[in-house]
Amino acid sequence: MKRREFFKKGTTAAVAAGVIPLVTASCVGAKDMVYDRKQDKWFDLGTGKTGSNSRKKTVAYDVAVIGGGAAGICAAVAAARNGSKTVLIQDRPVLGGNASSEMRVHLNGVNNIKGKAERETGIIEEILLHNRFENEQESFPVWDHVLYDFVVREPNLTLMLNTQAIEAVMDGDKIKSALCWQATTEILFTINAPVYIDCSGDGLLAATSGAEYRTGREGKAEFNEKFAPDEPDGWQMGATLLMSSKDMGKPMKYSPPSYAIKYTHEGGHKRRKFAGFHEGIWWIEVGSDDDIIADFEENRHKLMGYLHGVWDYIKNSGKFPEAENLALDWVGSLPGRRESRRFIGDYIVSEKDMTEHKHFDDAVAFGGWSLDEHNPGGIENISEPPSYFHYHFEEVYQFPFRSLYSKNVSNLMFAGRNVSQTHIALSSSRIMGTCALMGQAVGTAAAICNKKNVLPREVGQKYIKNLQEQMLRDDAFIPKRPANDPNDLARKASLIFGSTTSSGDAKKLINGFSRDIDGKNNHWQSDGLSADLQLEWESSISLSYVELKCDTNLQRNIMMRKDSRNDELYFNGIPNELLKSLSLEARVNGKWIKLGVIEENRTRLIKFKFDTIKTTAVRIKMTETYGAENVKLFEVRCYA
Amino acid sequence: MINSLKITLSLLLPLWFLISFQTKSMAVKNINHKIVLKHPGEDIPVEVTLVEVQDSDGLPIAYFTDVESVICLEQVCKIVSVRIYWNNIGVYQKYELENGATLEKYEDDLFDPEDYKKLHTILANIDSPYKEVYLDEILTVVDEHTEDIDAVSGATALELDEKDTVPGAALTCFTLWHWVNGDIVSIIKNKTGESVSNKQLQQFLVDENETYFYIAIAELQKRKNYSKEFIDTIIKRGLKDDFLLRTAFNYLKGASVENYLYAAETLFFKGSREQKLTTTRSLINTDYKVSKGYLNNFSTQFSKLDYQEVSLLLELMQDKNPNSKVVIENVLPLLSGDFIIARRAYWFLNNETLTTKQEREIKCFYKKHKDKL
Repeated sequence: MKRREFFKKGTTAAVAAGVIPLVTASCVGAKDMVYDRKQDKWFDLGTGKTGSNSRKKTVAYDVAVIGGGAAGICAAVAAARNGSKTVLIQDRPVLGGNASSEMRVHLNGVNNIKGKAERETGIIEEILLHNRFENEQESFPVWDHVLYDFVVREPNLTLMLNTQAIEAVMDGDKIKSALCWQATTEILFTINAPVYIDCSGDGLLAATSGAEYRTGREGKAEFNEKFAPDEPDGWQMGATLLMSSKDMGKPMKYSPPSYAIKYTHEGGHKRRKFAGFHEGIWWIEVGSDDDIIADFEENRHKLMGYLHGVWDYIKNSGKFPEAENLALDWVGSLPGRRESRRFIGDYIVSEKDMTEHKHFDDAVAFGGWSLDEHNPGGIENISEPPSYFHYHFEEVYQFPFRSLYSKNVSNLMFAGRNVSQTHIALSSSRIMGTCALMGQAVGTAAAICNKKNVLPREVGQKYIKNLQEQMLRDDAFIPKRPANDPNDLARKASLIFGSTTSSGDAKKLINGFSRDIDGKNNHWQSDGLSADLQLEWESSISLSYVELKCDTNLQRNIMMRKDSRNDELYFNGIPNELLKSLSLEARVNGKWIKLGVIEENRTRLIKFKFDTIKTTAVRIKMTETYGAENVKLFEVRCYA
Repeated sequence: MINSLKITLSLLLPLWFLISFQTKSMAVKNINHKIVLKHPGEDIPVEVTLVEVQDSDGLPIAYFTDVESVICLEQVCKIVSVRIYWNNIGVYQKYELENGATLEKYEDDLFDPEDYKKLHTILANIDSPYKEVYLDEILTVVDEHTEDIDAVSGATALELDEKDTVPGAALTCFTLWHWVNGDIVSIIKNKTGESVSNKQLQQFLVDENETYFYIAIAELQKRKNYSKEFIDTIIKRGLKDDFLLRTAFNYLKGASVENYLYAAETLFFKGSREQKLTTTRSLINTDYKVSKGYLNNFSTQFSKLDYQEVSLLLELMQDKNPNSKVVIENVLPLLSGDFIIARRAYWFLNNETLTTKQEREIKCFYKKHKDKL
């Protein structure tokens, strides 16, 4: 019997049950409540009389991804979309990792190569475009929900928030289970999966599995790294605590809390600047030369003290009159981490692989953020610049698959800052856009592991082409590695042409390069709208899928940032080049029949799926973009 | 006015455009236009006087206007009057200051000689980053070291490459760039179009700089002038420059049916691939009634065309000239040529009313290729 029903029925039921003395019907109090002890589980739960819920559960998936940052989300979505039943385990209440509203670190990528972006594509591009539509205001709390939406709408993917993978149960050199503690429900999950991907940054699950890792800085000699210290040491770049302030339109007082650490900027390096301080200062940073994970709580406390110390300096030193009306509007309590464990794979990426643009046959990702190594000591060593920008890339570098799986735990992969690389390499590849590409690679690889019943290393050895081709089909970009999918029927077309052409050539849409790069254009652009693209095959083909890659202006950033920049390099709206409205037709028995219509497209990779038909020609009719006068495409693919 | 122009301060600009209006003998007339402009830094539209300078033939040869050097929100900046010059198609030429006046940077710094040159370069760059910068971004303190942008947060101030701005004078750059490259450019083009004679418009149509072509076409449309003389010039230009065909047809579709069809036929028969495709598309979309005889004539070209041209022309015939015996006769030979073209011809013929002999021919084609149709 439910409690409300009891009150509604008044005393009649009680009398009938004969459990309590008769009372006047007009004033029934809490003391007068009667319970059906056998059924009132809510009452008996505390006493254990009806037994308690099991606090241990065992569940099974094809792929378990640990960590819900950019890398983990992309890994989980890639695995799920490629056919693996996937679980994404995130230890925080929100997704996004360092870029979540809990930390608000900018989600950057290859933001600037000789003055232009070279944006990541694939799943991270889809996320950032989704954010442009759903979060034009660029609010970090709304961004959390954009990511939540992006993940929970995937049909083959289960999300577990507030859940931390705390220990690996091993079976030989394989992880058999991941023990995961869900703090909000007090449940200890045993998660079984044939493949595990640790994208959690610190990599607790991977560490407990016995996967080899290293921390700290390599010495110059080990990898012939120009920017490494002469001798190896334990230094790891620190975590940063951010904040933001608000102009209240009137002078605002500030007094620091008890734990503030006085800051004076005396002896501070000239590059330790305050520009943009009202949105946080990235050099409020504390690292460690020992066990940075063990030091975390101590460092968090220090960082909270430094944050208020620096704000006190800004507000009360008299040196920042422009801060008079500012008040703290948000202060972080969870520092954003840059570095801790780096797990060892079959290959360790180092500085020269990046600066000399080493070509890897197993390349699956790319990066291009500068070698941006923060100073040893962080804010506790202000005489040094807050970061050494050792090297600025003039073209993107490759990242190999062999650095994304463990050398000694056979069913474990990684993506993000914890992959197989040196400290110096990490100083560039730690950027979230780059981590996201690694995520898509390992998620796709995990699905191949399941399909082929192999382990990650075998994917690298036997199926690397399958992995690369699937990633390229899914809109990833691998430098110097054009797509060459034998199943793509567009490549077998006898003719491909656009109704009009203002630049490029429709034939370039099947050349395997889905962006303009290395000084070459790989696009077809119409002359005005509407415009058609047509493919003709000499013999009839079976067709079920047509996929396009349209322009979103990859040379201009649409990252998630606090500063909402809108200039030559950054854009804070929906790219006006994005194709909005289009339809697909196929010619059957000499007549054009409609196979699909998209009115409000939101993605760079546009997919049409339909019941298999026999045809000799398809025609894509494009009628509108989000503002551009012409439509530009980079690829067309057709599959049976 | 001419005298006052001569005594204005000659800045240290790298290029002195010796535009003709500075020669007394050439410039004969200045016309003042009161115009209203929107500026992204101003809340409400601003009225300014745009001066059009015409030569003795009444041809606009330049424009200029005076604006304030900086939009100043807190009344603390020094404002000087800046005269901006454009040529007759709205391309910025130079700026001048009042005699003795100087431009100022943030915190009372004065412009260096190099800064004046750089300002000129910035104003001349129609794709300057200032194009898409907002005023509130300018008002944020600018960090002069642009590279130190950390993955964690980065500076929030406007960050422009040093080549794109005068450090400390972003607000001046922003203010002037939008005066120079804003709505006034299209106003100047319109004014030029309005001022020139038909004879001058003829010259515009053949000028190598295509902006003159666009101005002339817009003006001819406004004047509803579709004379044969203009149409011939436009056809000639369309045969030479593919990229102008869309604009040309946009004009031609307003001409009389005779002139439109004359232009279409000339461009199709004398032109190459782009002319043929653009013409055929235009004929498909035109509201004019086109005679069978006219379209039949086009069908004589089938054997010389590639697949895309054939396909589009067949679409035109199917739509506007179905069951034409002449067209059918001209299409039938395609069945024995390149297979992809033959198949397209087959699907066309399959929908036409054919003679028994012709029916046999296409049945024969069907039998032979039924697996590839």
